[in-house]
Order: sequence, then structure tokens, then C-alpha cells
Amino acid sequence: MFRSNNVTARIFERQISSPAPGTSVHCARRFYENIVPCHTIFDIECPDILFRKFSDDGQYLITFSRNHQDLVVYRPTWLSYSCREQDCPDHDLPSKANKFESFFTQLYSVTLACSGELICKDFFLYSEKNQFGIFASSTAQIHDAPAVGGAIQGIPSIEKITFHLVRLEDGVILDERVFCNDYINLAHSMGVFLYDDLVAIVSLRYQRIHILQIRDSGNLVDVRSIGEYCREDDELFLNSSTQCMSIPGRNRNHNVGNGPDHTNQMPEGSFLSGLKQRLLSFIFRGIWNEEDDPTMRMQCLKKKFYFHFQDYADLVIWKVQFLDRHHLLIKFGSVDGGVARNTDNHPAFFAVYNMETTEIISFYQNSADELYTLFELFCDHFHSSSKNSFYMNFLSTHSNNIHALEQLRCNKNKASSLPQFVKKMLSTLPFNCQSQSPSPYFDHSLFRYDDKLISATDRHRQSTDHPIKFISRRQPNILKFKIKPGPESGNADTRTKKISSFLFHPILPLAISVQQTLFLQPAVMKILKRI
Amino acid sequence: MSSSSSMMMMMAAGGGGGGRGGGGGGGGRSWPSTTSVSASGKRIQKEMAELSMDPPPDCSAGPKGDNLYHWVATLFGPPGTPYEGGIFFLDITFPSDYPFKPPKVVFKTRIYHCNVDSAGNVSLDILKDGWSPALTISKVLVALRSIFTNPDAYKPLVQGIGHLYLADRSKHDELAAEWTLRFAR
Repeated sequence: MFRSNNVTARIFERQISSPAPGTSVHCARRFYENIVPCHTIFDIECPDILFRKFSDDGQYLITFSRNHQDLVVYRPTWLSYSCREQDCPDHDLPSKANKFESFFTQLYSVTLACSGELICKDFFLYSEKNQFGIFASSTAQIHDAPAVGGAIQGIPSIEKITFHLVRLEDGVILDERVFCNDYINLAHSMGVFLYDDLVAIVSLRYQRIHILQIRDSGNLVDVRSIGEYCREDDELFLNSSTQCMSIPGRNRNHNVGNGPDHTNQMPEGSFLSGLKQRLLSFIFRGIWNEEDDPTMRMQCLKKKFYFHFQDYADLVIWKVQFLDRHHLLIKFGSVDGGVARNTDNHPAFFAVYNMETTEIISFYQNSADELYTLFELFCDHFHSSSKNSFYMNFLSTHSNNIHALEQLRCNKNKASSLPQFVKKMLSTLPFNCQSQSPSPYFDHSLFRYDDKLISATDRHRQSTDHPIKFISRRQPNILKFKIKPGPESGNADTRTKKISSFLFHPILPLAISVQQTLFLQPAVMKILKRI
Repeated sequence: MSSSSSMMMMMAAGGGGGGRGGGGGGGGRSWPSTTSVSASGKRIQKEMAELSMDPPPDCSAGPKGDNLYHWVATLFGPPGTPYEGGIFFLDITFPSDYPFKPPKVVFKTRIYHCNVDSAGNVSLDILKDGWSPALTISKVLVALRSIFTNPDAYKPLVQGIGHLYLADRSKHDELAAEWTLRFAR
């Protein structure tokens, strides 16, 4: 059937025919092929702020003040102007188009960090349901912190980490949660995962997964802490039933309330922690059931279980994500890999844990083909950040998009060794929370672009002077728009390393490109938009 | 792989050192520990082979890594007891003068039991005064397994649990089952 790419023709077509069942959103999204951010405005007069991102519903632009103390929130607005003449497109834009304020209205500025703390500029999680934002601020980290009070050796310490729950509508700080002398990986929100109203925070230092709930009232409520114990009342149960055993010297402080005090929880010497017990018994059962013959089974256990027992017992929790409201995907590894930047060379394991039944559901090594196959086929299940955020369904992954799958297959065939490829792919698990931009311009079924230069994944990239091209997927020769990260005139100074980041609005044809040199020179900021 | 190679080394050292150990034993002179270690190592090797050939039901044990003197044992909570469904891990440490001294056994899994204290130490007669060099690791495992079915409430390590076991058996079993569910699954 003939399909015109002309926008008028498309609108007529929309009027007279209804799309195939279940495809209406996909058809509507095709209009983005016609409406692209093709015009770049250089040299924007811009306030001196650090750009974080647009909230996933496009309502807010989150920025921080340069001194890392204040949260500054803007509402994206749409600059419009009209002209009468015939040759409208040739007209210059009005002078106000060069002003940041013409595109964004400041809603408020609120101070989050005080008394020696700084806002973590990589950290922001958005609870779409009630338009709450979670922010983090912390003091500087101490690298050679002594492992006291049940902390594990080799993990740095941060004196104070504060999570702030902010109502983005008006900037009111609703609740705070403080972690003292702890270590939580805040960069790119790695140590925190938000699913619906549930927040999982990984304390690397004390090896706990704190599950918190965001109430509609704006309170952060402790649900449970997984690690030393599995169920929320395990510690209470243990204390109350050991008290009636009347053992001298067991006057331990009860610490099961909502209090933020995590420092005086002392693990009881030599027992395996609750989660480790579950993990070890899961591994043990698996090997036990592999063999029926007692002699063979004993050999098998000796080789596969007892020989590695201490390695399993020493595993630490690195990272966690929710798979649904009950299941967590937990990555385990050795202590030194937990804070390392590049964890590819460290052995790692993945476990799926049901926190309601406190059962380990499955356990894989990071080279497991089985887990990779699941990842290849059902990638979307790992991406679930919420069951009701609708447009997150349109993130292009290799399990929902044929073009992304082709790319993956191509990379897989190119890889020199398959085990290395599997490890590399699985190293992205568990996913960082809300790290993907839902912008339709990253939809692989609409546009083709170089994944190495730009992608939906939120991160800084070293910028090149080459423009980044977005090419129509349906008409492979038509360049729809391009982004040039550098200044308009090109860059004479090619020696300094430049870092660029792109903030795409999730709905509007609007993107911000920020380029920075490694030194603290003022950033070059540009706005790409559709006129 | 590395365990078997280190065992080979251990055996070679034991074979060579055995004569020296025998010669010096009468003089009361303390020989370098390698001699006695390899003698006990040989014995542990032998017991490990026995255990592999004929393991007692529902339990198993093996050395941690390539250290012959540090073992882990695993016991299934026997059916019909409040420990049913639980998997209990125990640390077993052999002294260098094994088998003349008993191995040390500590629970790594929390258990509600009158013969196991709050640090996981087990009071078992054959691991103390009742120890004999004729006993083996297989026999220790069988004895450990039997405390699940028959706690020795008259010689308890934890008085409270022992009393409860004798006074209100059903309450005791209920609590022990709850502990198993929470801490030993």
C-alpha cells in the first residue's frame, strides 16, 4: 500500500482510516518523523547551572546550582512567534529565542544540601505517579575507613548520605532519610532502584538492601532490610526468643523501628547472614539434586560446593534492581569489585530473590549462557521500572525492536569469543534505574543513529567534532536532523578533551546539548528545536 | 584441580616426614609442625576417602578450598523433627594433633537447640571427654545428626531451651520449627 511521508497526507490518512488494532500509538509516533528538532540555536544565554535531565513525563527540567547546594526546577515551555510575510522560513528568529528563559520557566529553587553536604549531580529518580523526586546529597567519602560496627573491609565510607523526597510541583521537601558512615553508590543512581512506590537502597558497607516505600502522604517508610535478616521481624523474633532463653550478656539494643540509625547493628559473630544462608542452601540443594548416587554426589559436592564454600560465603551484594514488586535481581561479587569502576574482570553472580517468600529463585554466574538467552529474549522484563509508566514501553530494546536485535546479532557475530561477549552483555545487569530516555528520537524503528555517539542511555560522552546524524529508518537515504556538539564556528582547539551530554525532552521535539571541557570552563549550551 | 595437587603435595610430605616423626616422638622433642600436620593430614585424607565411599544419609562434608583442616558439613533437618526442611551448615576444624584431639564443630546456621549455644558451639559428649581416636568424621556426622532427633535436655548448653523441651515439648517444637523456617531455609 502506498504510504506518503508527507505530513498533510498522513493527517488525511489518519482521518479516513483507523490503524490496525493495537498499533494506534505506533502510528501516532510516526509523526515524529515529520516533526524533528532540526533547528539548532547556538550561544544560548543560560544561567550557570548543572543540567540533570527532564523528568520522564516531560513536566520538569531538573537542574542543580553550580555550587551543588540547590535544586533548581524549570518547566519546559514552548516558544512561539508569528510573522506575516510570505517567506516565513527565511526570517531570523526573534532575539528572545537566544534566551534560556524563553524555553524554560523557573518554578523554584530550593536548598537541599547543607552542613558540608553536596548534591550528587548524577542522582535523580522520579516517581511519576505523584510527581515526587528523590535526590541525594552526601559528604566526601573516606577511602581508608576502618571496618567497624559490622561493616565489611575494603569499602569506603561516607559520613552522611541524605536522600530527599521532594514534591516537584512546588519544591516542598516532604521527607528525608539519612545513612551515616555508610557507602551507597550514588553515581548514575547505581545503588538505588525505584519501582512503583518501592525504593531499594544498597548499603555496600553494611551489606543490606533497604526497602523503603514512598507513601502518597509523602513519607518514606521502612518496609524491610534484607541482608543480615530476611524477614522484617526476624531480628525482633530473634531477640524476643533468645531473651526467654536467658543467656547472660545478650543485652543488645533493639533496632527494628523506622529510625535511620544503622550503625549499632552488630552481626552476631560467625553465623551466616540471612541472605547468605538462603543462597548457600539454594546452591547446595541444586548440586545435591544433580546426582542420585551417594558416592558420585559426594564427589560432586566436594568439587563444586565445599571447595568454593568460602568464596560463596564471602560474596558481597554489589547492585540490585526490582524485576517486579516481589522479585529482586541481585548481583554478587568479591569485595574489590564492588566499588571498582570497571567490574568486567571480576567474577560475579546473579540471583533472583523473592523478598516476600525469602526464597532464592535462581542463581547464575556472569558467564551463564542461560541467563544471556533470557536477557536476549526478554530484555524488557529487566527494564521494568514501573508497571504503569506507559511510554517506557516504547524504549527500543533488542527484544522489542527488530533493528536493535539485528545490531545485537551483528555485535555477537563480530565478537571474538562468545563467553566474553556474554560477560560483557550481562555486565549491564542489574540496570541503572531510569537511565533510558523515553524520547521518540531514540526509537530504532523511526530513526537510525550511531549508538557510539549517542543513545537513549543517560551518560556523558567524549564528544567528537563530527555531527551526529539521525537518519530516517523508512527512507534510508534521508537525513532527518543532525546534532553538532561543538560551537557553531567549529572548534579550533582540538587538544582539550570535551565531554558532551544530551538531554532530550521525552515528548516535545526539543533537546539540550551541553558540552564541557574537563576543566571548569563555562559550558557551551545549545537548544535544538523544531520551528 | 588445585585441591588435588595440594593433596598430592600433602601426601608426599607426609610419607617423607613420617619416619622423622616416629623417631623423635620418644624424645619428647617438639618437631616442626609439618611432621605432625602431615600425619594428621594422612588420617584426614583417609577419613575423607571413607566418607566419600560410604556417606551417612542426609549429610555431607568436605574441605573448604584446599585446606584439609577446615571442613564444612551440611546436615538436612531430619523429617518428623521441628528441624525438617532446614539445611544446616557447620564448620569443622581439625586440630593439628588429630585424631588425638577431637575436631571443633560450630554451627554456621542459627538453630534453636538446647545443645547449641548462641554462638553456634555444640556440646556433644564425643567431641569432648567422650572423644576417642578411633572415632571418625563419619561417626561425628552421625552423632550430630542424632542431636536433631534426640536433644540431650538433661545436659543442656542453653538452660532455657532445655527446660522448655522437658516442660512444654509442643511449645519447644513450635519455636524450633519457626527458627528453622526463618533462619535455616
